[in-house]
Amino acid sequence: MQIHPSDLGLIARVTNLGKRYGTGPGAVAALDDVSLGLRRGEFTAIMGPSGSGKSTLMHIMAGLDSPTSGRVWLGDTDITDLPDGELTVLRRRRIGFVFQSFNLVPTLDVRANVLLPFELDGRRPSKDEQAWIDELLDTLGLAPRVKHRPHELSGGQQQRVAIARALATRPDLVFADEPTGNLDSRTGREVLSLLASASSRTGQSIAMVTHDPVAASHADRILFLADGRIVRDTARSTPEEISSYMLAMEAAA
Amino acid sequence: MTRLKDLLPTLLVATLAAAFGVALLQITGILTAVITSENGLAESGTVQLMLGLVAGVFITIAVYVSAVVTGNTVATVVAGRTRLIALLRLIGSSAGAQRAAIAREGLLVGLAGAVLGALVGSAAAWGIAEIGMAQGSIPRVTYSLVDPLLLVPMVAVALTTWLAAWTGSRRVLAVRPAQALGNATEADFDEVSSRRGRAVAAWILGVLGAGLLVLGVVVGLVRPEGVLIGLLGGILSFTAIVLAAHRVMPPVLRVVGRLFGDRPAARLAAENAVRHPERSSRMTIGLVIGVTLVTTFAVTMETYRHMLLIATDDQPELQDALGPVIDGTVAVFSTLIGFSAVIAAVGLVNTLSISVMQRTRELGLLRALGFDRRQIRVMVLVEAAALTVAATLTGLVLGIAYGWVGAQSILGSVGSGPGIVAPVIPWPIVAIVVGAAALLTLAASVAPMRRAARVSPVVALAVD
Ligand SMILES: Nc1ncnc2c1ncn2[C@@H]1O[C@H](COP(=O)(O)OP(=O)(O)O)[C@@H](O)[C@H]1O
Ligand SMILES: [Mg+2]
Repeated sequence: MQIHPSDLGLIARVTNLGKRYGTGPGAVAALDDVSLGLRRGEFTAIMGPSGSGKSTLMHIMAGLDSPTSGRVWLGDTDITDLPDGELTVLRRRRIGFVFQSFNLVPTLDVRANVLLPFELDGRRPSKDEQAWIDELLDTLGLAPRVKHRPHELSGGQQQRVAIARALATRPDLVFADEPTGNLDSRTGREVLSLLASASSRTGQSIAMVTHDPVAASHADRILFLADGRIVRDTARSTPEEISSYMLAMEAAA
Repeated sequence: MTRLKDLLPTLLVATLAAAFGVALLQITGILTAVITSENGLAESGTVQLMLGLVAGVFITIAVYVSAVVTGNTVATVVAGRTRLIALLRLIGSSAGAQRAAIAREGLLVGLAGAVLGALVGSAAAWGIAEIGMAQGSIPRVTYSLVDPLLLVPMVAVALTTWLAAWTGSRRVLAVRPAQALGNATEADFDEVSSRRGRAVAAWILGVLGAGLLVLGVVVGLVRPEGVLIGLLGGILSFTAIVLAAHRVMPPVLRVVGRLFGDRPAARLAAENAVRHPERSSRMTIGLVIGVTLVTTFAVTMETYRHMLLIATDDQPELQDALGPVIDGTVAVFSTLIGFSAVIAAVGLVNTLSISVMQRTRELGLLRALGFDRRQIRVMVLVEAAALTVAATLTGLVLGIAYGWVGAQSILGSVGSGPGIVAPVIPWPIVAIVVGAAALLTLAASVAPMRRAARVSPVVALAVD
């Protein structure tokens, strides 16, 4: 009998994942035999030093990049060898993104940016979805800004628009790669607590890369990467616990 | 600080303009040699003068169009490099020094283009002459391809490229060092630059030009010299349109954009064309100039031919004799003006391609969010189509209007006394212009489409 990832309550899974850049002696192993399952409805934080493979892991799990070895599932779909067209549709319907910067299409206003995933899918949001979008814009404090274009917004506001867009389609999984890396720490934490509360309130599955122990302390689970491997996998922790582990890691390096 | 790739478009435009000018002068020289050998020196003097004048007019037009195109190309490159310029400003480079560097590159590229163009143009003229002589369509004569006069278009191209790079780079001065830090976008950047003086100049020239156009038509009812007043009015009012392109083109682009439907790729493309008025007017204005020139000339000539045919209705032999002469004249002159339109088209291809490259991250973002490759291609194609359709339409409308003023002011007083001359539209030329625009759309989008579709979604996530 075949076991599906969803039978295990997993929303995404990778097995024996490897990613090498380049060939020969100059090759870099960005990921080395990583196996991991993300649980449905959980907020997972991914931490680790710069260059440890966090972004690479996310890109591969989100179908933006392909692994050198190993397999990748989103829900019950094996996406390892999906052709580009199918991957594109899958990203459109089942995945949300928040990047560190340049999240928004500069020519579109806030509302059009949030509605973009629906547009790309060639449909209008249903009544129910529209209500959810209005609620999102409201809770993220964007309601008075819907007609503004990205360059008229502050960095924090731009990231909130990106969050609204990522949550609007209620995707299976939202990936956020250092979503507050360009913000000052207070604005960053505000934005992150919005993301975390969206996750806990609606059961949205989120995977987020962050360097901030306070941000990570909102997460249900924290993964640490070093040199392309998972070196620690813990449940919810306090900022102090996270910081002390980070310091210990640095000391060991 | 400039990469060679950024200079190639300007080099191509300068080379084309110089090649055109040199080829035209070489052919004039060869024709003069032919006429001298047949009819003696006395007659060849006037012919040479006439041919020289005609060549001078077309070379001036080509050099003017290439200067506009180069200015816009440089401005596009500068707009895309706001951040780099801001960064250099931040670490202490002065805006003036950066601008001077761009202008210096312009001069070098202009010189290189002039030399390359002279070689290409001379080779083309030599080829045409040899083929003509081999086929016997022109008698074999000895001619020289070395003439100091050739330096005129070469120097003109080098100097105007220099000047165009200088004016095109004036926005460097508007870059604030702080833009290196923020999320500077081009819109932000464009809105910084002051447009006050330009608007005032455009209004003054526009009103003055329109007044002179009307005066030209009125005077033309009595005397054909009215056309000279009209010509001045045309130059002034058209300069006003060029100056106010960022106001004139976006409404046209908005209307044209609606034609492409409501699908996301088409809508985004239309938005792209409209939302950056500076960018889109930079891309289109060269082509507007080219199409307007071609159409103006064609409408004037066609109306003239029509009048002539009516006037000689009772003399069929005269009509038979005149017909081919007029057709030939129209064909030769349209080709000569058409070359300026080609230079403008090269400009549009270049700026579209640069602007797509500058949007790599945006394209990556769209790919990440779920645009497939085909949609990305459609988006680039629709954007190119919106730009060419808008430019062509504007050029046709302006050209028909100017062409009518031209015909009316020349012909209003002749024939059966003062009267209104209906413009005659040369449909074959309109068809050629529209067909060329369609080809241009495809040509302009092939490379950017391929490049855009290759953009990996990962670039949107990358932090630079
Ligand atoms: N496109 C690429 N080409 C070559 N090496 C890369 C590329 N992307 C990432 N790497 C390398 O892979 C490793 C992991 O990178 P990344 O996943 O971006 O790390 P992180 O996000 O944890 O900082 C690094 O050593 C990086 O230099
Ligand atoms: Mg990273």
